[in-house]
Amino acid sequence: MKKNLFVLVIVSVLLAACGGTKPAETQAKSEVTFMMWGAPEEQTVWQAVVDDFHAANPNITVKVEVSDWDSYWTKLNTLIAGGTPPDVFAMDAPLYLDWQSRGALLNLQPYIDASPSFLEDVYPQTLSAYKVGNDYYGLPRDFQTIVLFYNKDMFDAAGVSYPTADWTYDDLLNAARDLTKDTNADGKIDQYGIWSDTWDMELFWSEAIWAYGGDIINSDHTKTLVGEGGARDAWSYIDSLYKEGVMPQPATSGEYGDDLFQSGNAAMTTIGHWAVPGYVQAEIKFGVAPMPKGPAGRATSVNSAGFVMSKDSKNPGAAFEFIKFALSEAGQKRLAELGFAIPVLKSVAESDSYLKQPGDLDQKVFLDSLEFAHMKPVFKGYEEWAGVVGDGLTPVWDGEAELNPTLDEVVASADEVLANNK
Amino acid sequence: MEYGLKPLGREKIWLWVMLTPTLIGLVFGTIGSLLATLVLSLFEWDLIRPPQWAGLSNYVALFQNEAYIKAFTNTITFALLYVPGVVMISLLVAILLNRKIGGLGIFRTIYFLPTVTSAVATALVWNMIYGKDTGILNFLLESIGMSPVCWLCSNNAMMSVVIVNIWGAIGEGMIIFLAGLTAIPRDYYEAASIDGANDTQQFFQITLPLITPSIFFQTLISAINAFQAYDYIYMLTRRGQGDSTVPVAVYSIYRNAFNFFRMGTASAQAIQLALLVAVFMAIMFWWERNYVVYE
Repeated sequence: MKKNLFVLVIVSVLLAACGGTKPAETQAKSEVTFMMWGAPEEQTVWQAVVDDFHAANPNITVKVEVSDWDSYWTKLNTLIAGGTPPDVFAMDAPLYLDWQSRGALLNLQPYIDASPSFLEDVYPQTLSAYKVGNDYYGLPRDFQTIVLFYNKDMFDAAGVSYPTADWTYDDLLNAARDLTKDTNADGKIDQYGIWSDTWDMELFWSEAIWAYGGDIINSDHTKTLVGEGGARDAWSYIDSLYKEGVMPQPATSGEYGDDLFQSGNAAMTTIGHWAVPGYVQAEIKFGVAPMPKGPAGRATSVNSAGFVMSKDSKNPGAAFEFIKFALSEAGQKRLAELGFAIPVLKSVAESDSYLKQPGDLDQKVFLDSLEFAHMKPVFKGYEEWAGVVGDGLTPVWDGEAELNPTLDEVVASADEVLANNK
Repeated sequence: MEYGLKPLGREKIWLWVMLTPTLIGLVFGTIGSLLATLVLSLFEWDLIRPPQWAGLSNYVALFQNEAYIKAFTNTITFALLYVPGVVMISLLVAILLNRKIGGLGIFRTIYFLPTVTSAVATALVWNMIYGKDTGILNFLLESIGMSPVCWLCSNNAMMSVVIVNIWGAIGEGMIIFLAGLTAIPRDYYEAASIDGANDTQQFFQITLPLITPSIFFQTLISAINAFQAYDYIYMLTRRGQGDSTVPVAVYSIYRNAFNFFRMGTASAQAIQLALLVAVFMAIMFWWERNYVVYE
């Protein structure tokens, strides 16, 4: 009996070993895999970029794979742990250092040095996020500034004048009060003055903190600053939006879908260009204005999605050619037509390809916001830190906890996260 | 002690042929990943850089990690509420459905449905039921003049999540108990009623003692499920940035492994949880020796 079991184990081990070895593949063409997160429509657009690229580079085949945000990261982790990473993959700037510091990414500097002029026309703000020391391990592909969106029909119905470039956060609150309504008279608010995501910093709270004179994190990323000075004023402003009921609590907002502006339950929101195609499709009549001013001036957030290359890429040369093409005028023009983001190439962003998109939306608002935009912070341990801060305050927004003591606790835990991620 | 039929001659070969697929899965899948977890818990590994020897530091760090202690406490609380709930309610349902009434098959199917339905899909429905503004539950409360409740806010989320988990587990428990109940010979009850025992006496003197093996089994299974509870909790309590309103141990393991890339910490947590389950099972088997009646 024992002998049988032994034989069985040996056979099983051999079987398993055979499965692992693959015959070496010989290819005349180099193949590059490119993975990104995004909406299904983005697959079509990127396929168009790839087709253009194929026409210019017949020796390289690029395979594009688009997944939704959550499955993208799961897939990526699995592929990397399994030793078969994609050659080029999309990166969100705040997570970039987590990946770079773990040595997963290829240093692109040697390739950039070989064709130095191609970054000249790229917005410097978007490049800065990807610079580590003197080298780039990633490059931005598009960027997003956050602006104020408003529903024209709701403003007209309430007789409130549209937001202007002179608006302050107090003007926003006043307008939001007039726009919060129970339209079907069932005793429950179904049109909120404003809805925004207050868990991730990008859409609302980082902008408010900067406009109130506060900051997010110190420059060497050892101390969380969201509990100090102006930042605390910004939080209590946000708290008042919830307390006055002009902004739906996190506990209720989910009942109206992922985006209350898109579902027609909110008169204003603060979001980036990626939301535009969805709002157009939902046939919402909307306009955009810059973020309001705070006591310390006007501020918004800029974030860029980028490309990185795997350290273990089999075809780094060919993969870099693809990145170069996507950052070229031809590639960026294609992406501008897509309407999800703003091109990082100045010449394209300031050309008709971006500014004259179908519809009457003032595209310049997004571009001009760069002047007073702060980079969304990039640091190690970002994801855990963002969970502690963003989700830690949820009980306050749901009316279950007091702002100040909760904020103190959150800051202490956030600093602990920073210490553990040094 | 030997029992059953012994395989003869060529049957032996077929026995191994038939067992091989399962054994391969067991050796490489279950036992392999178990050993891998054990080894990984002694290393620091972020999936990309080569693992670094860490000794027992991952285990030591668990006791200083406030977030994990909180998650672990939540798991214990969850188990204390969930296990008795599942055992009692599914026993009750089984007793109610163990009599000759019309539409028995329909009732049994209804109670069993949650077991065979995808947890993700039912959790979405429960999200709607629990909705603060538009949920059915609050609609009912308000129609009888009570004020609405925020079911999934931090104060109530544990209770709400336990309810959904119990609801999802009744079907399975009911099947176990129905099997136990049908195995009790009818003449015991007949003899008891001739002797003048009423329904309550019959339940406590006959049904309950004779069903202890099922109760034991169901408690064991429910406890293991309680320590592993994850899917409904993930679906119902996940916040915008990935944290949970009621993080449980498995949720914390998931976050550490796949969001923060701390495979060593996650493995140490998994091993610690497994040890806890093992201790619990040891206690259960001691209880079995003393209190469970086998015919």
